[in-house]
Amino acid sequence: MNLLLRIADILSILGHYPSFILAYIIETLIVIIFAVVVIAGMVFFFRKYMARVQMRLGPNRVGKGGVLQVMADGLKLIQKESILPEGRDDLAYKIAPILIFFGLIMGFIFIPYGPLAWFGYLTVSHSDVSLIIIFALLAIMPIGEVLSGISSNNKYAVLGALRGVAKDISFEVPMMLSILAVVMMASVKVSDPLNINGVVVAQSIPFAILEPLGFFIFLISMAARASYSPFDMGESDSELVTGNTTEYSGLRFGLFYLGLFGTIFLGSMLISTIYLGGYYGPFTNYLGFIWLLIKTLVLVVISLTIWLSMPRVRIDKFVNFGWKYLLPLSFINLIITGIIIFGGIA
Amino acid sequence: MIEIKEVKEPKRIPILGSVMGMFTVFKHLFQKPVTVQYPEVRGEIADRFRFRVYLSTDDCVGCTLCEQVCPNLSITMMTLDKENQRNKRRIYPTVNFGTCTVCRNCEEICPTDAIYLKDVFETARTKNNFLYSPTDLEKSEDEVRR
Repeated sequence: MNLLLRIADILSILGHYPSFILAYIIETLIVIIFAVVVIAGMVFFFRKYMARVQMRLGPNRVGKGGVLQVMADGLKLIQKESILPEGRDDLAYKIAPILIFFGLIMGFIFIPYGPLAWFGYLTVSHSDVSLIIIFALLAIMPIGEVLSGISSNNKYAVLGALRGVAKDISFEVPMMLSILAVVMMASVKVSDPLNINGVVVAQSIPFAILEPLGFFIFLISMAARASYSPFDMGESDSELVTGNTTEYSGLRFGLFYLGLFGTIFLGSMLISTIYLGGYYGPFTNYLGFIWLLIKTLVLVVISLTIWLSMPRVRIDKFVNFGWKYLLPLSFINLIITGIIIFGGIA
Repeated sequence: MIEIKEVKEPKRIPILGSVMGMFTVFKHLFQKPVTVQYPEVRGEIADRFRFRVYLSTDDCVGCTLCEQVCPNLSITMMTLDKENQRNKRRIYPTVNFGTCTVCRNCEEICPTDAIYLKDVFETARTKNNFLYSPTDLEKSEDEVRR
């Protein structure tokens, strides 16, 4: 039983096809609402966490304990005038924030959320190659970054976009290689290792224990994908104003901002599904989703701690690190995984 | 001859430093925030903190020493119609808090201790000057605002 069938069951008075069509629409709406609420929660959590780590109080005036501060900020961003720079590439300028947000929301659809009590499995969309689809969708976001950079007609934006591209290229190859190791490992146990649900099912022992090197590489890659502090070369707020988002204001800037926090959450979710056993835990048939959320939250706290404790790496150092250390390490990880598989440990 | 000792640098383990830094950052989460929510919560004021100038017109002898010692001319003398045997000229200091730097010279030099400072500091007003007449200086801040 899964969420779709439950909703269709409730709507079954309407007849078979209409009820399923409506159920699909409702399920999609639920995911979008979930994503937006989670991202807003992330923004609030980040501000509160940063404040407490710096021994401040953080937002505490709007609503109880400042909960509505994010809503207030969102409303402010919507009301603001969107200032368009002169000499911009109009279509690219306007489409860039939408691309970033689109890639993010689509990423949420293929995550295996696991079962939750009466609702059953919450996974929205199934595919035999969902692992590849997710990374293809995540690869849309850098395109938005580049488009926003080159279309703003601003030197800081171009520099930020160039740095962002250099960063993206240098960590994406090791990231995909570490995913390849995961697929190799999963293929021993399940028939559909490219399905992200299959990867979760294959983890009777979490892959983080079996291949810690791959886990480390993937953690760094996800930090670089979300581009927060040690890897925020695209933004570089002390040198390049705010990098590729310099010329954006109002709602469009808000979309970039949501994109950043959403990627942190999505990245943490991906790490916990691929390496930490996803929805597996005690009482997994009832509390699977809760387990996924707990693992994700722990990873989010770790990510935010990394963000708040580390200075930015210089761009050439990170490119060096990506090609000279991460790439060989990921090849070594592949070899180790091969040995483990043939040794029959997994 | 001076012997130069070679300083041995401690062995550096990669990543460990970063992890320890992260741990230090995380530890701060459990410390009490230092922010004081001012209008609702009053923070502690230091024992010797002083701001507001008070004047006791009964004790003032009108010697003008405070006016002479004031470094930025915040104190000027003003005649006040008040019967006081010790103050024949009937002049009393007025204080402009807009320029007062709280150097406390007036308090120190006053021969009769007529001028003294207290730790009241909330002197914000809607009126566009901070000139306190001798009668204002006698009253508490709440009464002046009224």
